Amino acid sequence: MTIVVIILTLAGLIFFFATTVGLLRFPDFYSRMHAAGKGDTLSSLLMLLPLALYNFHEFNIANLLVAMKILLIGVFIFMASPTATHAIIDAGYEAGIKPWTKKPEEES
Amino acid sequence: MIWQLDLSVLTLIVICAFATIMVKDLLSAAIIFGAYSFLMCLLWTEMGAVDVAFTEASVGAGVSTVLFFAAVYQTTRRVGIRKSGRMLSKAIGLVAALLTGLLLIIAEADFPGFGDLFTPASLHVSPYYITQTLHDTNVPNMVTSVLADYRGFDTMFETAVIFTAGLAVIAILRRLKKEDRCDIPGPYVISEGYPDTIIRFVARQLVPFIQLFALYVVAHGHHSPGGGFQGGVILGASFILLAISFDFKVVLGIMNERWNILLGNIGVLIYAGIGFLCLLLGANFLDYSMLSKVLPATDKIMARSHGMLGIEIGVAIAVMAIVISIYLNIVSHGKYDKGL
Repeated sequence: MTIVVIILTLAGLIFFFATTVGLLRFPDFYSRMHAAGKGDTLSSLLMLLPLALYNFHEFNIANLLVAMKILLIGVFIFMASPTATHAIIDAGYEAGIKPWTKKPEEES
Repeated sequence: MIWQLDLSVLTLIVICAFATIMVKDLLSAAIIFGAYSFLMCLLWTEMGAVDVAFTEASVGAGVSTVLFFAAVYQTTRRVGIRKSGRMLSKAIGLVAALLTGLLLIIAEADFPGFGDLFTPASLHVSPYYITQTLHDTNVPNMVTSVLADYRGFDTMFETAVIFTAGLAVIAILRRLKKEDRCDIPGPYVISEGYPDTIIRFVARQLVPFIQLFALYVVAHGHHSPGGGFQGGVILGASFILLAISFDFKVVLGIMNERWNILLGNIGVLIYAGIGFLCLLLGANFLDYSMLSKVLPATDKIMARSHGMLGIEIGVAIAVMAIVISIYLNIVSHGKYDKGL
């Protein structure tokens, strides 16, 4: 059990790190949001799942309740975070932010 | 308490506070201020003040950020241009700030250390609440019982203050007369765009859960962190989510102005009414133990718990109505015709 918890937490940390690097290093608004939206959601779940598991060193109803609440937080993050990312990207698209391309943009 | 974590969070808070002042763009300042509130919430959780952290998360990081956005949407993003050559006023401001800071630092030396066991508060006041709350009121959450029972007066007037703030916003911003409605276009024209299916669908799915959670926070405030203020703010925030993701009109359809003001009044009235009911039953104002005469199957201790639940519900209703009304007034420039 503890090993699973450690592995999941480490995976979550790695994904969080990748998210941060992506957020800082990607070239334009859309790709940065892509890193933030995907990485954040997955790594949050990867951190919450071991938290829920860690509650079960002794199994009883109270621990089950806590674990269920933590999992519910995960469900809501899974719904809300991609939608928020979508909303921000949509606003950026409507504001007319040009996506980054490999060729330098020609002035027109 | 992990002091390394505390220290790093505190450093981030100070950085956020400076950034909020320094940043030229007001929208960015609002976002940084939201981050500041969230970090404050983390720090309070670290220190064990979970109820305060909950309030900070819902009010500071949640609703007030949205209200700042609404205000920016109706005014401007730019900081007012400062005229140079006002050195004297700047110097006076700097001296005043430095003096106040110095006085605060001097006064801080007289404060007891955090969690000091031998202060009068820790020696005489806190032990009573810690040992007697459950026995007196049958409420496990000490914060709720102190807020709503032992210090019921304070909370009643806090609710009245929030209600007054809502009234002030309505009195200043609401424009009912035709001649008051100047039709100057707002500084920002946000494109109508297309109705975004994804955002609307997810908002529609989430709103019932948010409201259910708010009711849980209100009703379960005795046993877990939470209570009327937090639950009311979350309820109001669910309506603001509807207004942002759908349309301004949708919220007005559910909660029009008349209902809004009425609910704000009713909330405060429930609180004060329970207090007066206690008076009528022959106890002191807001002494809930006498409510056992009217409530079926309760003894004096359980009646205090029920009385707290009653006033929490009143607080939640008032706060919800006021939050919605402030948002609607700010975002529609007091005209209630269109908005964010």
